[in-house]
Amino acid sequence: MQAEADRFELKAGGVRGPHLKSAGLSVPRSAHARRRLIRPFRASYRSKPQVTKPTATAGFIAPAVVVVVALMYLPFLYSVYISFTNYDGLGSPRWDGIANYVQLFHDPEMVDAIRNTAVWVVAGVVVPVALGLGLAILTYGIRHGGWYRLPFLLPYAMSGAGVAVIWGFILQPGGALGDVLKTLGLPGSGTAWLSYWPDSTIAMVIASAWQATGVNCLLFVVGLQAVPVAVLEAAEIDGARAFTKLWRVTLPLLRPMTIVVVGLAIVAALKTFDIVWVMTQGGPGYTSTTLATAMYSQTFVADSYGYGAAIAVLLTVVTGLASAVYLKQQVQVGGVKR
Amino acid sequence: MNKSNVAFTTRRKITAIAVSFVAGAFGLTVVTTSTAQASSVTTIKLYNDKGAWDKYFTAVGNLAKKDIGVGVQPVGYTNEDTYDAIIDASFRTHSKPNVFTWHTGAQLQEIVSQKDVVSTSSIWREGIAKGDLTAGVEKYYTVGGRQYCVPLYVSYYVMYYNKNIFTKYHLSPPSTWSGLLQIAKTLKSHGVTPFYATDVLFSFLWFEQLLVGSNPTLYNNLEQGKASYLSPGVISVMKEWKTLIADGYFTNPAVTTAPQTLLKTGAVAMEPWGTWFTGNMKLVGAPPSSYGMFVIPPENTHLAKLPIIFETGPMCVPTGAPNMSADMSFLKWWTTPAPESYWASVTSDTGADPKAAAPSASIEAIDKYASSPKVQLINRYYEATPAPILNTALSEFGAFMVNPKGYMSDLKTIQAAAAQYWSSHSAS
Repeated sequence: MQAEADRFELKAGGVRGPHLKSAGLSVPRSAHARRRLIRPFRASYRSKPQVTKPTATAGFIAPAVVVVVALMYLPFLYSVYISFTNYDGLGSPRWDGIANYVQLFHDPEMVDAIRNTAVWVVAGVVVPVALGLGLAILTYGIRHGGWYRLPFLLPYAMSGAGVAVIWGFILQPGGALGDVLKTLGLPGSGTAWLSYWPDSTIAMVIASAWQATGVNCLLFVVGLQAVPVAVLEAAEIDGARAFTKLWRVTLPLLRPMTIVVVGLAIVAALKTFDIVWVMTQGGPGYTSTTLATAMYSQTFVADSYGYGAAIAVLLTVVTGLASAVYLKQQVQVGGVKR
Repeated sequence: MNKSNVAFTTRRKITAIAVSFVAGAFGLTVVTTSTAQASSVTTIKLYNDKGAWDKYFTAVGNLAKKDIGVGVQPVGYTNEDTYDAIIDASFRTHSKPNVFTWHTGAQLQEIVSQKDVVSTSSIWREGIAKGDLTAGVEKYYTVGGRQYCVPLYVSYYVMYYNKNIFTKYHLSPPSTWSGLLQIAKTLKSHGVTPFYATDVLFSFLWFEQLLVGSNPTLYNNLEQGKASYLSPGVISVMKEWKTLIADGYFTNPAVTTAPQTLLKTGAVAMEPWGTWFTGNMKLVGAPPSSYGMFVIPPENTHLAKLPIIFETGPMCVPTGAPNMSADMSFLKWWTTPAPESYWASVTSDTGADPKAAAPSASIEAIDKYASSPKVQLINRYYEATPAPILNTALSEFGAFMVNPKGYMSDLKTIQAAAAQYWSSHSAS
């Protein structure tokens, strides 16, 4: 079955040569000829000319195009426009050139926002992904493994704001953590975890990981289910021990799922908002602010819509670039880089 | 006439008949409404950022129905930022609220300058003549010599205190600032935290109290862009605040437990809040006998008029409101004693109308004090400060409470925001 599937595995630019050759076929040299190879599916549509009329095609896709343009492209373009104005939410926006973008480089809040966003991207990806992976490996294939994973998955059902409120109670001076430390006779019971950097950001990353670990674990379990048992058995026959099997076989085969999990975690970390806003509102001062909270605060609290839009554009560019670079490094159309 | 023209004409006829039918039905409806004028009620939508008070607005609407035939459908929001953005956006659309709650100070000036709100000068003239509105509050509803909106409520900032703690240590409400600090010292010596402080949202509480108590003129100038945050008077206030923090007089500002719970349980002895805080104490079930309130004595004993910080929330009618006549009648009706008394009773707060019945003896005493000619009302920092400066200041005050040594850096940051704002807005 697998061999049959491999035979038609596609790759950017055409069909994988070796598989075609093993199937007794030759690889067409020109791109045009290669594209023709995958056209038989389209041919069946062509036999119904009424469907392929340009007007009919346009009619089918028009509603979706209108919705996407109206709800996604136009608001984004309007935000870009607003970022070049000094709009304060009232009256009409006045053109202000690149003043908002210049301000980005002189604003002390942005220094903190970029620093914290970077911390979130590193720690906010490593911690929940590593914990999720570890949990998945430890509980996969054992008896009642699902029950062990369940408690970790429950926080995912909560909203970020709810998680933030709970952790706010835990971490506040004299909160649950303080009480536990006091009961155990350990130091730090009166510590204001959310008052000083980097404690505040680290504490919030932990709170975020508490929520995200379970779903990462679930995704890794799905990935583990796709690891062929035969390969693991072959490794065992070859004398591989548990760690070697994990390192040499399981983890490489989990790579496609890892790419998805890490990719999602990067985007989530870049746009971190709810937990930070509810727990500290980016403070005290700007010490725990992120790009997303700075954008909200400037737009809706300070009524500096123009500057807030400039931060939004910056955040979009950073997220887009990070995603593009990451995916380009890890993924090819139709498959994963090996 | 070709085929398509015939079809078009036919369609037009059908449309005309349909429109006539609908118009006829509408006319019938209008007639019905007119015929039943005595019992018909106009319902207006009251947009507000006090979502938790929907039942109060509805109840007031029932009262208004009986009195003036105008019912109220509250549209409450609980997130102020969202609410402000929605109201701002509504000014540019045809879908405007009948009546909406807003803010005094810079935010009122902004919507007036954009001609987004209707003048209420005639309501104020009549209200002051009848004694339903006061000249002291009118000042904060006046922009460019005309009045806009009417007060939904007026709250005065006082010191709430835990009576059990005061009784335990034989303390009584102070009449001087030094007396207040002496109480704080006594409480601290017994291991009780004297004052509440927070670094989120209300981080301005002690800054405004210390500045208003020492130099209310400087405070007002600061809010109007006529003074700098680097003025000696402001620096002196920050130094004093720093000393009080060093003395351990405040709760840890990172504590997120509700302030009413802290006061009720005795985790803190005193909290400076608007008189609306009585409602919060009721919510946590604190018996009225367990807490009290007193006017915070100013630090400067040489002031001609005693300052008291107050907060008032305007209720406004937008330009081009859907039902101008009913909307304005509702505003006018609101400034009379009946709705104000009702509002004071349900919110356990002072009423904007001096004739309104006070919900308790302590509120009545505060109300009487604030109405005295020896007292001057000072607008709360949150409303008085333009949004971009406020946003920076709240953050910097929060940072200051964590690191009091950095007060000059904090003031410089706030001043930078103020300078930027006032460079494009004329100082009032």
